[in-house]
Amino acid sequence: MTKRRENQPLQTDDGIQQDTSAVQRSDDSTPGIRRRDFLTGTAATITAATVLPHIRSAKAQSSGPIKIGHIEDLSGNLAVYGVQKYHGAQLAVKEINEGKMLKGGPVGSGGVGLMSNFAASPPIMGAGDKDLKYVADGGKLTGSGMAFVEDKDVLVDSGESGLLGREVELLAPDGQSNNNIWQQLTRKLILEDEVDCLVAGFTSAEREAIRPIVDQHKQLYFYTNQYEGGVADSNTFCTGAIVEQQVIPVVDYMIQKFGPRVYTIAADYNFGQLTAAWTKAFAPLVGGEIVEEEFVPLSVSDFTTSIARIQAAKPDWVFTLLVGTNQSNYYPQAAAAGLEYPMASTVNMAQGYEHRRFKPPSLNRMYNCVNYIEEIPTVRNRAFVKRWYAMFPDDPYIGQMAQNTYFSIHLYAMAVRLAGTTDQETVKKALESGLSIEAPEGAVFLEPSTHHCSHYIRLATADADHNVSFVREWPSIQPWWLQRVGVNLVRNKEYKQYIPDEDPFFAMFSKS
Amino acid sequence: MRTIVDLISGGADIGRTRVFWIGFGVIVLLFLLYPTQASAFRVSNVSFYLLNIPLGLGMALLWGYCGVLSFGHVAYFGIAGYIYGIIAGNMSENTLGPLAGVAGGLLASAIVAGIFGYFVFYARVQKWIIPILTLVLTLLLETFLGQTAGYQWRIGSVLLGGYNGMTGIPWFRLGGFVFEGYSFFYLCVVVVLACYFGLRMLVNSNFGQVIVAIREDELRTELLGYDIRARQWVVFVISAMLAGLSGLLYVQWGNYITPSQVGLLQAVLPVIWTAVGGTTSLLAVVISAFALNWVTFTLSSQGNQYAMVIIGALLVVTMLFFPRGIIVMVAEWLGRLIARRAPSSQP
Amino acid sequence: MDVLPLALSLLYQFMTGAAFFFLAAVGLVIILGMMNIINLAHGELMMIGAYTATITYHAGVPFWLSVILSFFVVAAFGAVLELLIVRRFYGRELGALVVTWGVSLVLGQGTLLFFGPFMPSIKIPGGSFSYGVFSYSAYWLILVLISLLLVLGLWWLYNRTPYGLQAKATMQNAEMAKSLGVRTSRIYTLTFSLGAGLAGLSGALMAPTLTIAPFMGQQFIVPAFITVVVGGTANVIAGAVASSAFLAAVKTPIGMAFGAFSGTVALLLAALIIIRIMPDGISASLQKFFNRRAGRTAQ
Repeated sequence: MTKRRENQPLQTDDGIQQDTSAVQRSDDSTPGIRRRDFLTGTAATITAATVLPHIRSAKAQSSGPIKIGHIEDLSGNLAVYGVQKYHGAQLAVKEINEGKMLKGGPVGSGGVGLMSNFAASPPIMGAGDKDLKYVADGGKLTGSGMAFVEDKDVLVDSGESGLLGREVELLAPDGQSNNNIWQQLTRKLILEDEVDCLVAGFTSAEREAIRPIVDQHKQLYFYTNQYEGGVADSNTFCTGAIVEQQVIPVVDYMIQKFGPRVYTIAADYNFGQLTAAWTKAFAPLVGGEIVEEEFVPLSVSDFTTSIARIQAAKPDWVFTLLVGTNQSNYYPQAAAAGLEYPMASTVNMAQGYEHRRFKPPSLNRMYNCVNYIEEIPTVRNRAFVKRWYAMFPDDPYIGQMAQNTYFSIHLYAMAVRLAGTTDQETVKKALESGLSIEAPEGAVFLEPSTHHCSHYIRLATADADHNVSFVREWPSIQPWWLQRVGVNLVRNKEYKQYIPDEDPFFAMFSKS
Repeated sequence: MRTIVDLISGGADIGRTRVFWIGFGVIVLLFLLYPTQASAFRVSNVSFYLLNIPLGLGMALLWGYCGVLSFGHVAYFGIAGYIYGIIAGNMSENTLGPLAGVAGGLLASAIVAGIFGYFVFYARVQKWIIPILTLVLTLLLETFLGQTAGYQWRIGSVLLGGYNGMTGIPWFRLGGFVFEGYSFFYLCVVVVLACYFGLRMLVNSNFGQVIVAIREDELRTELLGYDIRARQWVVFVISAMLAGLSGLLYVQWGNYITPSQVGLLQAVLPVIWTAVGGTTSLLAVVISAFALNWVTFTLSSQGNQYAMVIIGALLVVTMLFFPRGIIVMVAEWLGRLIARRAPSSQP
Repeated sequence: MDVLPLALSLLYQFMTGAAFFFLAAVGLVIILGMMNIINLAHGELMMIGAYTATITYHAGVPFWLSVILSFFVVAAFGAVLELLIVRRFYGRELGALVVTWGVSLVLGQGTLLFFGPFMPSIKIPGGSFSYGVFSYSAYWLILVLISLLLVLGLWWLYNRTPYGLQAKATMQNAEMAKSLGVRTSRIYTLTFSLGAGLAGLSGALMAPTLTIAPFMGQQFIVPAFITVVVGGTANVIAGAVASSAFLAAVKTPIGMAFGAFSGTVALLLAALIIIRIMPDGISASLQKFFNRRAGRTAQ
């Protein structure tokens, strides 16, 4: 092999010349760019590309405030939801800085639990439930059943002001419901502000826009929204509820209570389609049948035709997966048209507070499976709601995702205290230690291998006067779908989103 | 046959004096040196402002110089981006993949524009209907792309992704050299300069002058023997390819494209840049596209909830007090100032 | 399935669909169709009407009164808009497009900042009635009636009143009208104000069926523009009616058979085809047809 000097064509044995230096090939056809500039530019590029990443990681901050980056839409179409989540973040940061934290720790699933202490005297058990006796809080036998004492103090003193002795600062720019701006802001927060933690994203589109940037820089990232599930990303922790926690319980309940014929009307994009696909695969397994699926574009606001189709199909109940301000018009229109089918949803009521905005009885017989809704009557939630409105008296409602953001930031604080540092790789490992946190909804467990949370799920229903009550609870539903698919982020690093089509189970057992 | 110098310094765009060219050169130099002074993040931002310029230039060419407003021009931006993602994603092992993707994207934009342009220009549709037609088309595209969420919507190994968009779009490569970060910035600068000078030569050429004549009075131009439909069609296709070029650069910047890129909010942006800068000048659109993107981002990064209100108010003020566009009118004013100060210097 | 209930359901859907298109477009028909102003703030004008109705209704005003109030409020707002901004853009269609987009941004975001993300909604008046397996909202039938009344009212206004004569004259040839003593600037203001008021009226009428949110106007922009373009400018009112009917006739059966998405796509495609076949809109073709029948030469 002939030795070659720099910038000379390589002469291989078979005589083919290979020009290994593209730099020398620049010609002067474009005015304004001359060879010298091009060389300078290329040299600068190479220098920067090799040197810059090292500079960044060497500057590990150990003093100054801990920065949490928070991107949500504070203007534009999604501002309705974005502002709520922002307020949730602000409340959490304020509590941390004032020396408070939520109870919990690396104690595995279930945690301390909602009902934490048994009554002072143990109950006497007999054969069959009729023989179960209970005792009130240290009192005498007064009836039959089981009694618990509610856990009162989930917000406890952390023993310090701030986190690891440093103040927590919330950097919260506005995504303006524009994906391009989201990307720019993500880069800004990661590269320029060097945030220790990023909490961002309402729609899946926004999350997917910034996830590649997050992965490129290995940024610790919390996605706190309910979504269609499937994100298996070593840098991302999804703390919202997912399909197996919301769809399956409600579909099961509705089929048992109202009958097997289901009409699905869903928003025509990823979330709606994937959720409908899940429902279609799962319903037959519990005896249900999807008589018709209809996908409605996000811009449609007139549901006259859809209402007629539903009536023609004569289902037992309607599964409404409608998203956005245009599509929520379905409820008053259906009520005005005299549609009286029971409805189930996983997205309405708890997020867009339709039961407060629309006049009764638009949301009569609506069943919604949620991990959080403002009307949860437990003591811990009432305390949380009170703290919220003390800080934000003009807010119209506390939505599901806002609560998710709130406890996610407390979860981050817990992980940082466990890790003893804000170094992101260490904190990620701390988050994988089996953390449980006492959120306003109940005990939430961050499952290590899937980076998703198990949630306290409740089935809420609205009556003809739009009063909310709860018909059933599932204290802890695991995020088991990714586990079935075989994801274990503790062992194998991954950076993708799985979709149901990649899961052979759906084809195996479906009867369609 | 006019020389290149003549073509560049022709009168169809603002700025012909030596002072102007010196200033221009200085600014280009500043751009070239920018990465040495700025962080990777800021360079990436400026790349974003730059990559939108070809779209603005296409708009200015079509609207300013030819008089046809294509409201849904971002459709070609999106088509090119998606096609590149599909081709390059499927040929990710092949080193020629990205190049094929670029060629495919530009070709796709050109073909769709060609078909659409044929229907519109050869049917002699009324001018004011064209914006609405193009808007309808781009919204149709957005609705279609938005519902391609499922697994069945994949071409080869690449998922279209519905509203979540297409992710993981491969970087553009030439041989083994990947254009990302700083090299991408320089790529953008080169592309912008090439487009600008290319278009400047075009509008100063014979072809360009006929185009302007068409804008002024179609009937008269046709009576003079020119086939206006063919020329409008050519301009339309060229401007669609410019929009496609921006789309190709965009998917490099974010490795990502969503249907919202062809939606209503994005469709209005190039119209706004062109209107605010001034439709009669290519350079004005270059400046205004860059500046407006910069303003939008700066406002949003400060968490300013008034960002949209400010931009809306800016638009209203511009159209009220600078009807020919801010940059164009400033340039006119500067021109008058220079002429007054030194009446003996050459224009 | 029984044919008669289905047929009735389709008829109901067709009528309400046509009413929806007509109401969405009626304000724009005046402003774009007659004055050639591409008004991208049309959706926001409807939004202001809806907000006015909602706020006054929740303050205790009876619903029908708040609808009428919305008409006048938005008409007044339109007059102000015309005097301050729009009148500088006659003849500059594309300038009008940009400036009205700016106005719409200010109005939309301003409403969000001022009134918050949602307002409580108005209960849909009227009950429901059913036939066969289908049941219907009575309110939409009322809206169909109101649309017909609006058509008649506008026809009367433009063909039987002095204002109408002056307005038509001004739109055809302003210089000539001015030299004949018509106060064209006042006509412009009045016409724009009327268009804005009608948009506000539509917004208020449809408010009970919608979510009251700052960007609610966006959902009307595409249907309104398509209706106006397909209808054409030869005879704006007849064009709007014909166009609404046509679009609803396309959307209803396809939407019923295949779902909402197919209905939307069919609608957009049909609009494209019509624009290709009849570039000047349905009204121009209708006019040519009637002129030919009357033996006159085509205009």
